[in-house]
Amino acid sequence: MAGLTAARTGAGGSRSRRPLALACAGVFALAVIGLLTMMFGAVTLSPGEALSGLTDGSDSFSGLVVGQIRYPRFLDAVLVGASLGVAGALLQGVTRNPLGDPTIFGLTAAAGLASATAVVISPQVPQWGIALAAAGGGLGGAGILFVVAYRGAVSPVRLALAGIALSALFGAIIVALLSSSRTFLQTSLGFLAGGLYGADWDDLRSILPYTLPALAAAFALSGRLNVLSLGDDVATGLGVLADRTRLAILAVAGILTAAAVAVAGLVSFVGLLSPHAARYAAGSDNRYLVPASALAGAILVSAADLVAKLLISPSEIPMGIITAAVGAPVLLYLVRFKA
Amino acid sequence: MRLTVERLSLRYNGRDAVRGVSLDLASGELVAIVGPNGSGKTTLLRGMSRLLKPVAGHVLLDGKEIHAIGARGVARRLAILSQIHAEGADLTVRELVWRGRSPHQGILQRASAPDHKAVARALEATDLHELADRPLASLSGGERQRAWIALALAQQPRVLLLDEPTSFLDVRHQVDVIALLQRLNAGGMTVVAIIHDLALAGRFMQRVIGMRDGRIAFDGPPREVLRPKPLEDVFGIPMTVLEDPESGLPVPLPRYPADASRRPTSAPEGGA
Repeated sequence: MAGLTAARTGAGGSRSRRPLALACAGVFALAVIGLLTMMFGAVTLSPGEALSGLTDGSDSFSGLVVGQIRYPRFLDAVLVGASLGVAGALLQGVTRNPLGDPTIFGLTAAAGLASATAVVISPQVPQWGIALAAAGGGLGGAGILFVVAYRGAVSPVRLALAGIALSALFGAIIVALLSSSRTFLQTSLGFLAGGLYGADWDDLRSILPYTLPALAAAFALSGRLNVLSLGDDVATGLGVLADRTRLAILAVAGILTAAAVAVAGLVSFVGLLSPHAARYAAGSDNRYLVPASALAGAILVSAADLVAKLLISPSEIPMGIITAAVGAPVLLYLVRFKA
Repeated sequence: MRLTVERLSLRYNGRDAVRGVSLDLASGELVAIVGPNGSGKTTLLRGMSRLLKPVAGHVLLDGKEIHAIGARGVARRLAILSQIHAEGADLTVRELVWRGRSPHQGILQRASAPDHKAVARALEATDLHELADRPLASLSGGERQRAWIALALAQQPRVLLLDEPTSFLDVRHQVDVIALLQRLNAGGMTVVAIIHDLALAGRFMQRVIGMRDGRIAFDGPPREVLRPKPLEDVFGIPMTVLEDPESGLPVPLPRYPADASRRPTSAPEGGA
């Protein structure tokens, strides 16, 4: 592929070290996590049982455990992680702010508020209804962010401040909503901390219809994000309409965040962490950074979910607590040494 | 490619920066725009390139209104190099130049054979082949300016607009950049550059446009317009024009400091 060659020859020094090898290593790591996920849980299966469980159908025990519980949950984790990783990469790129993240910019809380409202209003709402509500919330959050922070000059500081304000406001309303309806208290904890408890095929089906197009759009927009990073005037001169592109990128980030929220609740730090991890491997070219962030996010969330299941087995802790436990120190490091 | 400006008025920062300017640039012209700070040169350039929407009037590329052509369509025909380039410091020269292909590429920005050719040509024209894999931040001012020009060249424009391409460069690099513009022009490209150095404009450009208060004050070949009277009208200070002994071309010089040294106590009046 010519573009890959160009990027590789164009990359000096630490920029992109063997991107193909690292991509393969990432996919391999994800496969290993996947295998471990199929093997471990309330019951332990051998690698052979786990793999045959993938194809067995639900007549056998391993087929039931793997095919109906562990495999869909793993796919959910991969999709949630990829969505958050890409959303984070888009936000960091469009704001030129290394602390860009769906949580910090309020998109997570906006999607969460919409889906929590749907559940509180109509407790029997089907999963696709929650997914739809979350998407509406994510898009709405992106719209508010654009209007508040982007009219006129680009200001990362203004965007971060607006995001933090939105995040606090929506977060407070979510907690108020959930605490006023006592029956939800048990599931609310998983939602607020972010977790994949009980995530199944239904969850996957509910978000796939808009997550896959949004991921495709993100990859397609990543080239324009490169041009946009040269500044508004240069971008306009190269035929990229700056504000329109920003709005599109924010909208895609909002939808991807919504997909993650609809399935896993308010998972934090994945969107922040994944692009930074990906940058070491893929460099700063967004055409490589965006897919690499998807892979990094998928690895992070699926690994965190595995740990969350095994740490206090047979019970489990919300996966979001693991990502926060890793993410918070990294954020502290970035604030102190990088930002 | 003909660039026509018809009674163009532009606002910038709430000010009427360009007032009813009309211009006709034939294909293959080499033009300098001169004038004092705040005379509307940069705003005019931005208006000519779709960076700024006009309050009134039109800009036409081969008879077509640029705002009707669309951003990508204009970017394939016309390139603009603005003045300040703080961005992109972490990119290598080659990565920067590749981004100039963006208006020619599809949504996935897959590189095609013409893309590779255009990038190689842009690097060659700007003599940057050896520096291609160095990060921009490690280059000198003159080299970085050439890298940004290479980005514009990768667009393969028929019209190239440059805002002060020679400012902040030493005299050798100024001449290097001007010589590059002359070569591009010899290849058929229309080149319009804002230049503050009047001697440079007089010596190397075919046509000089002087601006004052958002209007065109003079417009013509250097020999005809770079004379004391038109220059004094534009810059508001007394001017002398010498003659380059080699080419006979005009070399304008300000007289003001000499006068001031003769009248050390009087207040300067140029800024009033």
